[in-house]
Amino acid sequence: MSEGPELSEAEAFAAEHALGVLDGSERARAEHRMARDPAFAADVEAWTARLTPMLDAVRPVAPSASVWSRIERALPANDNAGGGVAFWRRAALGGFSLAAASLVAAVVIVGQRPPTPLAPQAPPPGQLLNARIDTPKGDHLFVAAYDPTRQAVLISSLVPPGAGAGHVHQLWLIPADGRPRSLGFVAPGASVTLPVSTLLAGLADDRATLAVSVEAPGGSKKDGPTGPVVAFGKLSKI
Amino acid sequence: MPRIADGDRAALRQLYEATSAKLFGVCLRILSNRDESEDVLQEVYITIWRRADRFEAGRASVMAWISTIARNRSIDRLRARGPLAYAEPVEELEIADETPGAQILLEAAQSGEALGKCLSELDDRTETVIRTAFFEGVTYEVLAQRMDTPLGTVKSWIRRGLLKLKGCLER
Repeated sequence: MSEGPELSEAEAFAAEHALGVLDGSERARAEHRMARDPAFAADVEAWTARLTPMLDAVRPVAPSASVWSRIERALPANDNAGGGVAFWRRAALGGFSLAAASLVAAVVIVGQRPPTPLAPQAPPPGQLLNARIDTPKGDHLFVAAYDPTRQAVLISSLVPPGAGAGHVHQLWLIPADGRPRSLGFVAPGASVTLPVSTLLAGLADDRATLAVSVEAPGGSKKDGPTGPVVAFGKLSKI
Repeated sequence: MPRIADGDRAALRQLYEATSAKLFGVCLRILSNRDESEDVLQEVYITIWRRADRFEAGRASVMAWISTIARNRSIDRLRARGPLAYAEPVEELEIADETPGAQILLEAAQSGEALGKCLSELDDRTETVIRTAFFEGVTYEVLAQRMDTPLGTVKSWIRRGLLKLKGCLER
């Protein structure tokens, strides 16, 4: 746990961003970093979750009755705003940006992106493939995305940090041919980017599945999982 | 939330009925101004309407998600007021933060209990600085000016405080 004398520089920066003490340019730097560094985004999200309960102590106060009618009047304008709502609704089916770029990123960054309408029938090349990696019971353990442009899988573990000591979580890509290929390891609570070889990259499509097995330290010594596969999820297009 | 994401206005209305007093309280706590808080509250529900599809159950409670939107929007508004908004000295804020006993009991019953306990384990100065930063989004620079303390000192109070907080919450 955090018995060390200090927070790491990255985590301290994430905590400061969640708390709100950064000035304008540092804040912009933090938001930029969240967009491209899932581990950092996860730190910001974790710190936001730690600090937000401060709001629980705030006393409720009834707003004027007129506020609701103002909100209602403002809604149709949104619906007509360049297909923005429809775009986000489609985009949400993938859910990657919320998961990996975190709740805060969704609030802070996504809101600033222009509502570019996408042609749903013609996804651009290099489109992310997403997977929610769940237990058979439906517990949500990992969120991952394959980025064909970077040839890498970005994965965030939602397993509490420090859980499962003495074991490692190994990520597998199971392409259409059914043979699992190891992609690497993800520590509980961590977000990592795992490179995918060019050979494997051709197999990472929407017929492939990502799976996580629990292995002894060092990982499986075989070509496939040795320990139990605890969670899996299909790669799918946004 | 899924109903709101599908464009169901009645569902947004229900959410508004159930949560607007709480979120208005958050805006008011940060902005201390009714008119501005109502403007922000309106923005908050429109944001919820547009982003309901980004909400993932299981990653955060609805209340935490929408409270975070209310806090962020209010702080944006506060920052837009410019540096004059930060003229209030910390001492006055401390008095404003003084809550009567019954209120504290009520608060302790809520889910902020663990965090509240951990915050109170910090020394008073650190607790105040962290609470002030959270509720006002004031920068290190402003905190340092207000407290007439070097920026580096304020920064190390906060970083040490956050580290302790994390340790305490993990216990």
